[in-house]
Amino acid sequence: MSKPILSAQDLTVYYPLRHRGFLRAVDGVSLDLYPGEVLGLVGESGCGKSSLGRALIRLHDPSSGSLSALGTDFLSLKGRKLREFRRNIQMVFQDPYASLNPRMTIFDALSEPLRAHFRLTTQEVSKKVAKALEQVGLTEQARDKYPHEFSGGQRQRIAIARALVLDPKVLIADEPVSSLDVSVQAQVLNLLKEIQKSTGLSMLFISHNLSVVKYISDRIAVMYLGKIVETANREDLFEKPLHPYTQALISAVPIPDPKLERERKRIPLTGELPSAENPPLGCAFHTRCPWVVPRCLEERPKLQAVASGNQEVACFEAGKKEN
Amino acid sequence: MKPLLSIQDYKAHFYTRRGIVKAVNGITYDVHPGQTLAIVGESGSGKSVSQLSYLGLLPTPPLKIMGGQVLFDGNDLLQMSEDQLRKIRGDKISMIFQEPMTSLNPYLKIGSQMIEPLVIHRKKTKKEAWKLATQALERVGLSRADQAMESYPHEFSGGMRQRVMIAMALTTDPKLLIADEPTTALDVTVQAQILELLKSIQQENKMAMILITHDLGVVAGSADEVVVMYAGRVFETGSVDDIFYRSQHPYTRALLRSTPRLDKLEKELPVIQGNPPDLISVSEGCPFYERCSYQKEICKREFPRESSLGAKHKWFCHVEKIS
Repeated sequence: MSKPILSAQDLTVYYPLRHRGFLRAVDGVSLDLYPGEVLGLVGESGCGKSSLGRALIRLHDPSSGSLSALGTDFLSLKGRKLREFRRNIQMVFQDPYASLNPRMTIFDALSEPLRAHFRLTTQEVSKKVAKALEQVGLTEQARDKYPHEFSGGQRQRIAIARALVLDPKVLIADEPVSSLDVSVQAQVLNLLKEIQKSTGLSMLFISHNLSVVKYISDRIAVMYLGKIVETANREDLFEKPLHPYTQALISAVPIPDPKLERERKRIPLTGELPSAENPPLGCAFHTRCPWVVPRCLEERPKLQAVASGNQEVACFEAGKKEN
Repeated sequence: MKPLLSIQDYKAHFYTRRGIVKAVNGITYDVHPGQTLAIVGESGSGKSVSQLSYLGLLPTPPLKIMGGQVLFDGNDLLQMSEDQLRKIRGDKISMIFQEPMTSLNPYLKIGSQMIEPLVIHRKKTKKEAWKLATQALERVGLSRADQAMESYPHEFSGGMRQRVMIAMALTTDPKLLIADEPTTALDVTVQAQILELLKSIQQENKMAMILITHDLGVVAGSADEVVVMYAGRVFETGSVDDIFYRSQHPYTRALLRSTPRLDKLEKELPVIQGNPPDLISVSEGCPFYERCSYQKEICKREFPRESSLGAKHKWFCHVEKIS
């Protein structure tokens, strides 16, 4: 396989708590994003997926670990070099109501990153903005309007255009369709897919929604309590999930098919997600795991490649059980 | 079987400064004892307002009930005084909402909130009510219910709070439970637990349930009957199998097709073009007209009459046959 375009090694994000200790939002994650791929990052609320996404573009700096992007040591960049480098990696957020300035026209919002990064004539800026708007399926007339004049789906298109206007190599999309209605969600998903194909950019797609992640991703990483527990190609992850958490997660997702739902067996997960302030020792999942053995309480399983191909799993018991 | 709740040509509009919002624009359906009726629709389709309004839970003005009947056990809720309604609400008809934190009082112990319906509606003493409420908490799977009664809402996780809400709604053994997006704020693994719990309680009590949701997967797994709403109108009603396998309305079909599914590897999702309409400017015709791939001249002018197949399956569309 080619060299990763974005590569995190043993990355941690700890938030200091007021009274004592840290909240371990991201607790030792190694993750590679390859050129031209869509990597889905899935997990439940509080698992650290957004913190990881933000650390990957240095919206906040990781507490430890290393991060390389496009062959550069991303964490060592400072000042002007960092600002210049950032054009390569752009982000789209969940709530297009919050991420667009209500007092800027669409043209202002889209030309701002261009002016910050390049010295362009007015004409060149206009041209690039027009191109970005066209890419996301909006008409020229949109450019002089304000965000409130658009629906949620259209606003998300604008946010995507704003990320694309700099021709980034990497796009990090954090729950980009979660606030949209089903009928609009499909439009935005197809748009992201189409843009990814036509520009060849690499995308990290963060979401709690497994069905959406499955639709858009080439490869998927599953996160639990600050750690990646499994990665696999999308076919493999859903056909033969190896980690007990992945299995439980997949079995819990409702499928819009009544007959299937009546026949399905769910793997029940007992208990609640432990706190990231005080995560369990050993394997973070052992408090809820149906396969737990004594070793899990003491030792933390590493993410390891499975003999058959492109799948990695962090579990001592994975592969031993027949499902 | 006699319906427990029968809604007939019910209309409720909001009078706002911008104009009249026809949030509920003539809806008709029945809810039967022991059955779950799911109301599906996108945001703004009127699914919540269609329930909250007849229970007197929305401020009037701006809301105005424009006509129709809502018969509960044969009595028209729309003709009742506020006093009469108050006796039914929280007793024979209970509700649970999406965000348990906003429906629980953060300053009061769970116990003090739990006993309220019993003391008010059932004239129990505080002591008796406390005992019954503790049992109710045990029934929804809270371990150490005694301790939970003495706790405050913030001490619980989202899933636990929703269990408390369910327990509270059930203390009076309601005949009808209205659950408005009860699992939307929860993680999928917790959602599965809560839906399972609701199902088992319902089978025990023979209670009817109205489940308001935008998630077609949840509908497939939980509903007996389904109402599909769009822009204040009912587009299609039928058994869960009618809707998922024999749907006759273009919107229902398009909605089902545009939802990514965990059991499929979709190449491209078929989308519904455009956005849901602004309810102020809806015409007399079919509100889906502009987005519909089967649109005809008549759709613009007239809302279609009811078509039906068998006793239950009904839909509203001018198109004779859709593919």
